[in-house]
Amino acid sequence: MPATKTTIEYNDKIVRQFIYATLIWGAVGMLAGVLIASQLNFWQLNFQTSWLSFGRLRPLHTNAVIFAFVGNMMFAGIYYSTQRLVKARLASDFLSNLHFWGWQAIIVAAAVTLPLGLTRGKEYAELIWPINVAVALIWVVFAVNFFWTLARRNEPSLYVAIWFYIATIITVAMLYIVNHLSIPTSLLHSYPIFSGVQDALVQWWYGHNAVAFFLTTPILGIMYYFVPKAAERPVYSYRLSIVHFWSLVFIYIWAGPHHLLNTALPGWLQTLGMTFSLMLWAPSWGGMLNGLLTLRGAWHKLRTDPVLKFFAAGVTFYGMATFEGPLLSIKSVNALAHYTDWIIGHVHAGALGWNGFMAAGMVYWLLPRLWNKPLYSTSLANVHFWLGTVGILLYVAAMWTSGITQGVMLGATTENGTVLAYPSFLDTLNAIKPMMLMRVIGGGLYLVGWFLLAYNFYRTVKGASTVNGTVEVYRDEPTPADSRLGFFGTFFNAPTLFCVVGIGFACLWMLGNGLLSMVGIVGSLACFVAGYALVHTRAKAWGDWHEKLLLNALPFTILTFIAVVVGGLIQIVPTVVAQKAQNVEDRLQVTYSPLELAGRDIYVREGCYTCHSQMIRTLVPDVLRYGDYSRLGESIYDHPYQWGSKRTGPDLARVGGKYPNVWHLRHMEDPRAISPGSIMPAYPWLSTQNTDIASLPSKLKVQRMLGVPYPAQSAQEIFDQAQAQAKTIAQDLRAAGAYVAPEKEIIALIAYLQHLGKFEEVAPKQTAAR
Amino acid sequence: MTPTHNQPPSEDPIRPHEYDGIQEYDKRLPNWWLVTFYATIIFWVGYWFYYERAQLGLSGPAAVEAELSQIEAAKLASAPAVDDASLWKMSRNPVFVDAGRATYASTCASCHADKLSGGIGPNLVDHLWIHGGTPTEIYNTVSNGVLVKGMPAWGPVLGGKKVAETVAFILSHHKEGDPIEKQEAWTPPSS
Repeated sequence: MPATKTTIEYNDKIVRQFIYATLIWGAVGMLAGVLIASQLNFWQLNFQTSWLSFGRLRPLHTNAVIFAFVGNMMFAGIYYSTQRLVKARLASDFLSNLHFWGWQAIIVAAAVTLPLGLTRGKEYAELIWPINVAVALIWVVFAVNFFWTLARRNEPSLYVAIWFYIATIITVAMLYIVNHLSIPTSLLHSYPIFSGVQDALVQWWYGHNAVAFFLTTPILGIMYYFVPKAAERPVYSYRLSIVHFWSLVFIYIWAGPHHLLNTALPGWLQTLGMTFSLMLWAPSWGGMLNGLLTLRGAWHKLRTDPVLKFFAAGVTFYGMATFEGPLLSIKSVNALAHYTDWIIGHVHAGALGWNGFMAAGMVYWLLPRLWNKPLYSTSLANVHFWLGTVGILLYVAAMWTSGITQGVMLGATTENGTVLAYPSFLDTLNAIKPMMLMRVIGGGLYLVGWFLLAYNFYRTVKGASTVNGTVEVYRDEPTPADSRLGFFGTFFNAPTLFCVVGIGFACLWMLGNGLLSMVGIVGSLACFVAGYALVHTRAKAWGDWHEKLLLNALPFTILTFIAVVVGGLIQIVPTVVAQKAQNVEDRLQVTYSPLELAGRDIYVREGCYTCHSQMIRTLVPDVLRYGDYSRLGESIYDHPYQWGSKRTGPDLARVGGKYPNVWHLRHMEDPRAISPGSIMPAYPWLSTQNTDIASLPSKLKVQRMLGVPYPAQSAQEIFDQAQAQAKTIAQDLRAAGAYVAPEKEIIALIAYLQHLGKFEEVAPKQTAAR
Repeated sequence: MTPTHNQPPSEDPIRPHEYDGIQEYDKRLPNWWLVTFYATIIFWVGYWFYYERAQLGLSGPAAVEAELSQIEAAKLASAPAVDDASLWKMSRNPVFVDAGRATYASTCASCHADKLSGGIGPNLVDHLWIHGGTPTEIYNTVSNGVLVKGMPAWGPVLGGKKVAETVAFILSHHKEGDPIEKQEAWTPPSS
């Protein structure tokens, strides 16, 4: 059959739509960021209003930046580059449109529900379950559209950008679904199926790899397409692409527990998290090298071309952030930096520097090509670049200073190390206030730069006519039969087998006991020696196999999935299948009474976890300040766990019984009346709104279903128990001169806070099984 | 990983295939990059062996317990003299009183008010005492707390020296020999 020549028109309309959305949601997300950063300096900006308070807006900021801003930017970049790299139009216009409008609807739903306090209470996973379902469905639409396009490709071989897109799509689907497993108690509320340490582990497996596979791998793919295009230079090294792709997607997954160092998480998981984070350094820098060194021979263009400026700076910030990440994962560094602003600075080097600048470079490059008109103003784009760069540097420098200052002060001791030098948390907060102001200025400059991009965009596309790319391809070319890999060829070949068997032996050595461990050592060594010997003699054959793999999208996808699934299986499964009773160390949490559970849901709703941890680490300064270190069993019934990741205020794990009820009442009404200089918002609405008692029976039913040992009670018994406890607290407050009706939310919240830290001693059992 | 010595290093081989006009070199992996990668892998093996396999290093809880016992020993060895006479003496010494005033302002004033007149917690300048009004009794109340009444135990947080200074500051508002009357409970002024 003779080959016929056809002209394909790319679907660039959808790319233009995603670019519009990127610009708009980018501005919204960054504006929310500047607002909440200002709230930390000026508590008045919480406006005494529930839906404008920090705890509810902070999730809005993070979700908007991650899923709305970077999400839309990623879809624009993936759809533009994939069509060209595989020489095929997106498979379905309907699916493309459904993807676009579905995603925007999800963002709007998030922007409405989060300020209303509808949340799951887990970071970057706050959206309520109906929206979770929608996200999963739209992601599947994206995946189908993408893989269907690959199936119709006219370019047999997959370019490195496509590898990263494949890894993104399958891994995000896996992470998102597992971390959002929950059981609804109503249309708008659910409890996650995991609790305590299990929930913490799953959450950071997800949270860390959301950074990896939502904020990093798709952008690396975008870098691999747009940087060589803009620089008009070949990519630096194909073999570096191979090595850093496979090592990155394999190792990244294991590093999640570095968010839980020095906590009650079992030690072996902490060790895995730390060491794999360090091993991640080189694979990350492989991407940076391939990006920066592609610019060799094009450095002079950086002077004139804002696109390359943004790309070069973006990749540099990527290198900086991925050096800082492993550094922060070292346990002793983490002891200082965790819960402080250093972490905030670290993520913003990534979000503003890497994601934001790559987005800006991509938009400036695409504008003239999608609207067929030169950019309105190059000098304005240059101003944007410098405003953004200065903004990031101010932001990051302020957060480094702030984090290290506060970390050192919190850990400082006096009198031969026996007492804290700064026992008042407020002293450490006051010391960093100037830095928090500098962050607002840095973030503000960055936002102004973004507005310049929006203005430049508006002036460029005004009156411009859109243009869609085309390509001529030869259809009906028969696929050469020897390019098929098949099942056998995918798995039974030296590179795959060496990886699988070698990693298997290494895991046996790490986790096996006695004989198994010995087998692991011998096997690992044998694999290492044989692999090292063979790699030099068999290099050509192994290289050919990988080239062949690139012709086979499905086997490539399966191998990628296997690479990303291993780390999660080894870390999470033992912790989840271990009986809860084995997970408690020497203490078992006392279950919440119905009223306390209602109070806990208020705590979650108000986003208290965005500023307060409930995890006293195995570190002397933590113990001196907050009390005995937290045990696994003390949060074993917490759906969701509330260990937290940031201490803008003090830890609350043992705050129960520390202060009288009236202290909490006055403190929530006006934090500064009790703690002069506090930056906490006031919560006046808690004293006027009534506690949602009616939903307690269905909530307790779900808790029972999840294994929390609540007795079977009738709805009336639950109401009676809650009301009796509320009355007791109200009477205690009255004795202290404060009049609050027992049905108010503040009563339930006080009941919860006074419960924190209650446990019963149990006979020491084996901790989590290996 | 890949053969590096078979190719002349000066040559920049470019791959034959191109994607949408994008070409790729096939340059060697930089040696420093490889060394970094291998070094972190070796570190992982060594660290895992040290802490998990051989358990030569202490686990988190064991390490903190050991440090805390040392702190407790140091505290016991250097506990300040707590008796009525020396606390009264300190209350007349401006060095102790000024230091105590600062600690009071940051730690105690939120409940007992700036002027010690009471708020959430009781008045400290009248002659009424709920948990005893001798210097030693006041010291013990501050240090150990009265958890059922909502008074935190400040001893572990502030240390003996700061507690003694704070008590000296409170005593500076009293005179030795002032009457001590028993009060049952404190009723905060309603707001």
